[in-house]
Amino acid sequence: MNRRPLPFALITALPVLVAGLLHAGTTPPPTPTPEPVVEKPAGPSTASIVRVNSTNQAFNFTRPWVKRPPYTRRGIGVILEGGRVLVTSELVGNQSYVELENPVTFEKSTADVVRVDYEANLALIKPQDDAFLASAIAATLAPTAAVGDTIEILQIEPNGSAARTPGVITTISVANYPADGIGLLTYKLSVPLQFRDNSFTVPAFLDGQLAGILMRYDARSQTAELIPSPVISAFLERAKTEPYQSFPRAGIAFSPTRDPQFRRYLGMNGEKNGVYVASVQHGSAAAKIGVKKGDVLLEVGGFPLDQDGNYENPQFGKIPFGHIIATENLPGGTLPIKILRDGELLDFDLPLEPRDPTAVISESFIMDRQPRYYVLGGIIFQELSRPFLREWGSDWKSEAPQRLVFLDEFQDELPPNRGKIVFLNQVLPADLTLGYEQIGPIVVERINDRPIRRLEDVAEAVKSPIDGFHKIEFDSDPKVIFLDASLVEATADELRQAYDLPALNNL
Amino acid sequence: MRRLSSCFALLAFVTAIACQSAQGAPDEVRRSLVRIQAVAQNPDYAVPWNTGQVIQGVGAGFVIEGNRIMTNAHVVSNARFIALTKEGDPNPYPAKVLHIAHDCDLAILEPINPAFFDGMTALPFRDALPAIESTVMVYGYPIGGERLSVTRGIVSRIDFQEYSHSGADAHLVIQIDAAINPGNSGGPVMQDGKVVGVAFQGYSGDVAQSTGYMIPTSVALRFLRDIEDGQYDNYVDLALTYYPLFNPAARAALGLQQDGLGVMVGTVFGGGSADGIVKSGDVIVALDGNPVASDGTVKMDGSDLAMSEIVERKFKGEKVDLKVIRDGQPLDLTVALNEPFPFTLYANAYDVRPRYVLFAGLLFQPLDQNFLSSARIENQRTRYYFDHFLADNLYKERPEIVILSNILSDPVNAYAAEFRQGIVDTINGESIKKLDDVAAAFAKPAEYYVIEFLGASRPLVLEAEAVTASRDRILTRYGVRADANLKP
Repeated sequence: MNRRPLPFALITALPVLVAGLLHAGTTPPPTPTPEPVVEKPAGPSTASIVRVNSTNQAFNFTRPWVKRPPYTRRGIGVILEGGRVLVTSELVGNQSYVELENPVTFEKSTADVVRVDYEANLALIKPQDDAFLASAIAATLAPTAAVGDTIEILQIEPNGSAARTPGVITTISVANYPADGIGLLTYKLSVPLQFRDNSFTVPAFLDGQLAGILMRYDARSQTAELIPSPVISAFLERAKTEPYQSFPRAGIAFSPTRDPQFRRYLGMNGEKNGVYVASVQHGSAAAKIGVKKGDVLLEVGGFPLDQDGNYENPQFGKIPFGHIIATENLPGGTLPIKILRDGELLDFDLPLEPRDPTAVISESFIMDRQPRYYVLGGIIFQELSRPFLREWGSDWKSEAPQRLVFLDEFQDELPPNRGKIVFLNQVLPADLTLGYEQIGPIVVERINDRPIRRLEDVAEAVKSPIDGFHKIEFDSDPKVIFLDASLVEATADELRQAYDLPALNNL
Repeated sequence: MRRLSSCFALLAFVTAIACQSAQGAPDEVRRSLVRIQAVAQNPDYAVPWNTGQVIQGVGAGFVIEGNRIMTNAHVVSNARFIALTKEGDPNPYPAKVLHIAHDCDLAILEPINPAFFDGMTALPFRDALPAIESTVMVYGYPIGGERLSVTRGIVSRIDFQEYSHSGADAHLVIQIDAAINPGNSGGPVMQDGKVVGVAFQGYSGDVAQSTGYMIPTSVALRFLRDIEDGQYDNYVDLALTYYPLFNPAARAALGLQQDGLGVMVGTVFGGGSADGIVKSGDVIVALDGNPVASDGTVKMDGSDLAMSEIVERKFKGEKVDLKVIRDGQPLDLTVALNEPFPFTLYANAYDVRPRYVLFAGLLFQPLDQNFLSSARIENQRTRYYFDHFLADNLYKERPEIVILSNILSDPVNAYAAEFRQGIVDTINGESIKKLDDVAAAFAKPAEYYVIEFLGASRPLVLEAEAVTASRDRILTRYGVRADANLKP
């Protein structure tokens, strides 16, 4: 089992890179006081960037009371107005300690994460010492970009000077971000970066303005993916309000309607394009207004969709419609959508709301908090989540217990009131669990005749043993086991000490 | 369990084995041993209308009473031609399979010309398990040689183990330390002039050395008794899972004495022998009067054997008496034994032809162990469905898993690739429970054929007109001999 923290990057093992070629003769730009009015800065300034070192500790989902060994990720943050520094959330995910480092003077300041959005892979941090960024120049965002534009990737050499690598935007589209299955606008670049050191945030500039920050780099094909300025600016806009609301989602999975036989069957003739609704997530915005599997989504926000779900964006051309919902609008309010159902045209107002990560049956990521667990006489109960399954390594889909993989993968097919999936992860063998050593991971259905829909139910159910025994029932073999309730209580301290558990539960 | 190599194929085994000259073999063994040469044709599940590859193999057999020859099923599976030779006679004698039991890897052959038996003697069976550490002799034609070979070994272990020929059956097996190699298969293992087993499988040298396996006479004699009525009825099973009961709290909660007896029933498979009689949570304390220890063993033939052995020795239609404790109360139950059909999904099947339906270039096949010999399932849902077919009682609603196994590309199916390996749920609203349902649904006239796959994002829609127009084009272009085979 791979017990190392798993990088999010999908293309290469790690988005490891930093420091391109330092061109001979290139001197770091001087950092004079900026001119009062800058129409269009000539080039990005190192006065707008700062090194960020983040020491992170992921939790161990197979032994949920344990933090893994700390590891340090480095990146280059972009200084924004208000003394805030923008980085990817991957850089500071599960952080234990974050510091800023001046690239020239090597002065350091401890920093706090003030806002993080793992879906958008963005975070804002702030130095504890307000004066630390006093001489910095806040970067401005490039409002847009186009395919063919040359973008400059800014990295820092060990001596503090700037390393600039030009790259060309090849594609602008919606692509999946590291957090599973979440699509947002992405710029794809062709750029020959070399990597020598981990860098989980590298800024890219267009005519001196921030065009995006690097999310992934594939060294073999020399292509990079950027979180582009429209997503960054949407994040900054959302960051202004409390409580923070992430990017809105419709909660629809769709299928293209390219197949002409399928189009004719659906009664889609002539100009009517659109996509086939394949599934609707429980509790999602689309579910709330009654969008159903089998509907054909024709228009979103007044834009007609083509057979693959693209619309004509005035800035970027043909891109998937998810961009309108997620990025072009703030949460709250609604967006008109048009649907073809049984040959009939229907109009709906789609509420713009972010998905509720706690409403899902199996969460796709869990950051900055300890996994929940409950230990009963050596039996460890947990709630199913994808980070748990990912403990089986990159091939977790075939390596992890297949039943749990299936429940995670197809959770939208479970009844909406299913609640969480509580499972027995493993047994810490003790006298009272004799014969149960090999059990797990296995899904728990009932404890002491009470249905288990979340971990709190376990804590509640064990208060009422049946005739002095805890009866634990599973959805598959061995179906049922028993524990002596008084023995569980009497040996709790002994167990905690024997296995050196800091606590017998975390709810 | 794939580590067990079936001994049929003539692999290039060069492991040195202790061979001694056959000159020393007792006369009655030499006058009973048969060298079997079989030509088999194995079907091709990837291209099911094709005739399969023809392969040749060598095994051993021996004459038993009634002028019959016993060998392993795997020696003569899928055979198209069988020839027998015996010591001291250069002539090959064509033969046919009289009975074959794939679930216990045994077969009975009969030469076409009864003159084959002239001068031959039948070997008697010893109706008991040989003692651990006792010496046995193995006879056969390892690695394909023309002359009889003898190896000597001792009985190392007697235990339940998978029979790799079917891959889904486990019966009693005797492990010996004589090497058993391809060509030994079907040969007699002798002790004191009597057959104590039939050599049948072993590990390849890189897994374990000096481990050979033989089928004990309890299994061989059961097979002979089963076929007394002229047909083989397969093994019977209770079709349930059970778990040891060591835990004192579990024993107390279930109202049991701390007497070391009883196992708890986990799953009772629907449609199996015990369905509706035994319940999940019952504690089995005795089978046919034999006390069941809490690790699931019974005392038989002087050793602790898995309690299944009691059922193993019974026949279809026979009964087994169970003493169980249900809700703290003792209860006597009787189960009439029959063959649990769904298990065969996980067994290699032989002497059958691949079944399929080809429609609009879309190939539909039942997903079973034979299909998996030619394909790897990448589709996560399909893989789960297959793996949990029994455990989740999925076979109750769908006795056969029919999948879209392949696509012969044509304009009519140009957008079907996303459905590959999907499980067919319905066709035009008709629920698909087996391959025949697919053929029946496509045979009905319709404007559109709408195929719903389990969990697919959309239905696959085919226009009847386009399908009709594509039929001959596809059959010709891909050399398909028939667009369906529904008979095994």
